[in-house]
Amino acid sequence: MVGKKWYSSEDSAANILGFIMIAAGLAITLSGIDFAAFSFKTWHNFSELSGQFSDASLSRLARTFVILAVLFTAGAKMKGESALRFFAGFTALFVLAVIVRLISAEYEASRYLEWAFFALFIGLLVSNTVGVPDFLKPAIQTEYYIKTGLVVMGFSVLFSNIVNFGLYGLAIAWGVTPLVIIFMWYFGRKVLKIDNDPFVITIASATSVCGTSAAIATAAASDAKKTDLSLAVSISIIFTVIMMVLEPVIIRWLGLGELIGGALIGGTVDSTGAVTVAGTALGKLGQTTAVLVKSIQNILIGFIAFAVAVFFTARSGGKSHKVSASEIWTRLPKFILGFFAASLIASFIVQPIFGRPLVNSVNKLLDQYKNWAFVLAFTSIGLSTNFRELKEQVSGGKPLTLYVVGQLFNIVLTFAVVYVALSGRFFPLPTIAQ
Amino acid sequence: MRDRALKITAGLIFVLSVILAVYIMVNGLGLVEGLDFGAGAYYYADIPEFDRYVNSEAYKSPVSMWVIIALFLIWGWAMYRFLLWVDGKGR
Repeated sequence: MVGKKWYSSEDSAANILGFIMIAAGLAITLSGIDFAAFSFKTWHNFSELSGQFSDASLSRLARTFVILAVLFTAGAKMKGESALRFFAGFTALFVLAVIVRLISAEYEASRYLEWAFFALFIGLLVSNTVGVPDFLKPAIQTEYYIKTGLVVMGFSVLFSNIVNFGLYGLAIAWGVTPLVIIFMWYFGRKVLKIDNDPFVITIASATSVCGTSAAIATAAASDAKKTDLSLAVSISIIFTVIMMVLEPVIIRWLGLGELIGGALIGGTVDSTGAVTVAGTALGKLGQTTAVLVKSIQNILIGFIAFAVAVFFTARSGGKSHKVSASEIWTRLPKFILGFFAASLIASFIVQPIFGRPLVNSVNKLLDQYKNWAFVLAFTSIGLSTNFRELKEQVSGGKPLTLYVVGQLFNIVLTFAVVYVALSGRFFPLPTIAQ
Repeated sequence: MRDRALKITAGLIFVLSVILAVYIMVNGLGLVEGLDFGAGAYYYADIPEFDRYVNSEAYKSPVSMWVIIALFLIWGWAMYRFLLWVDGKGR
């Protein structure tokens, strides 16, 4: 440790880069300049695809590359790595990330699958066929991209969302979520005897909170392996497709109604986009209720990730309750603090001063940069994983069993809480504007 | 024997789930016309004009934000203690 600068750790670099992005996003939004990162529009056919490569979009793509390359290369330099070697690798990684985003913008694919799926797929394809060239390896830094993306994402985790659905939302989203995580933790470790603790907590968070984003945050907080994260995300993506379609059908068949059905969807379908689509399938009230509940779940990510980081730090010494606060502070992954700080700044400083519309505009700008960071991360995971590792991970069927049992528990418990809160038998029904 | 049964069941669930997911995607089931996003928009900020789907006017809470935040923190703290207890029992 002697001679190491405070900014040379990966977490410090992620915090610095994240806050540079947030500050720049805020300044740029206030100045009214268009500085959005490049993203592909959804496309149906080759002509729509090729039509996206206009001069304007190519210059936006180039600008996105320059910004990300400069920032991440500067961060690599802070960490004591060779800037030149990192930059060369990053350029190649960015090209792969562009291919990932291009494929995942295909109309049908984009409505069901997340880019994380395609990033993993393309990374795995490259690493398990032609192999990863040496010059690309310095840029394969999954945690670095994830942590930076998470700090940026912290700015979009707004505490004001907690009142979106009052006590109803609090009971449905926050009442159930930790119980599901604890149940899955117990079931995974005690019943299934899975000895990979970070994986258990990662898949539990993905199931109970909001899929990929929760998995990313808790995997980083618990120092999970790359294969843990990719497996948790893959399972969540497959089941999100199924639940997004089947849950509204079952809700209608059971005659649960839009209010209860929407709340159930909001509390149990993993991805926010899928929640909106599934809720809309029930009707306008179903859509609003589903999104209200999900918007509360979205802010839980920060708290869950923080609690997981403290929990894993505290128990890493082997005596889970007896580690001192100062020791926890020393060992705590510091990017979590950056993530939390960004959320607090957005919620209690920027939003009260500038208002919600400006925060939304900043997040709209930051969102694409954050997505690029996560695409780079998931492509890196694919590039550094081989099929044998993944096969070992799924062996015995325990991960899938954990997800399915946990999700069933999630559905039953959420339904029980939703019924008590929204059936009108125990509490007055909420008035929801549509 | 139990492990083998678990393995077979999980394998079956996996295969059926993948087949079902592929069937859903191939047939374009469950999509809503006009909503150009689906599972791919995994976080609320990913959804274009998210406020269209929910805004502060949708529900007016009669309870103050600080009461809700206090309840939120109390429940969170209680659940963390519960997790520590469960973890201690499971070790």
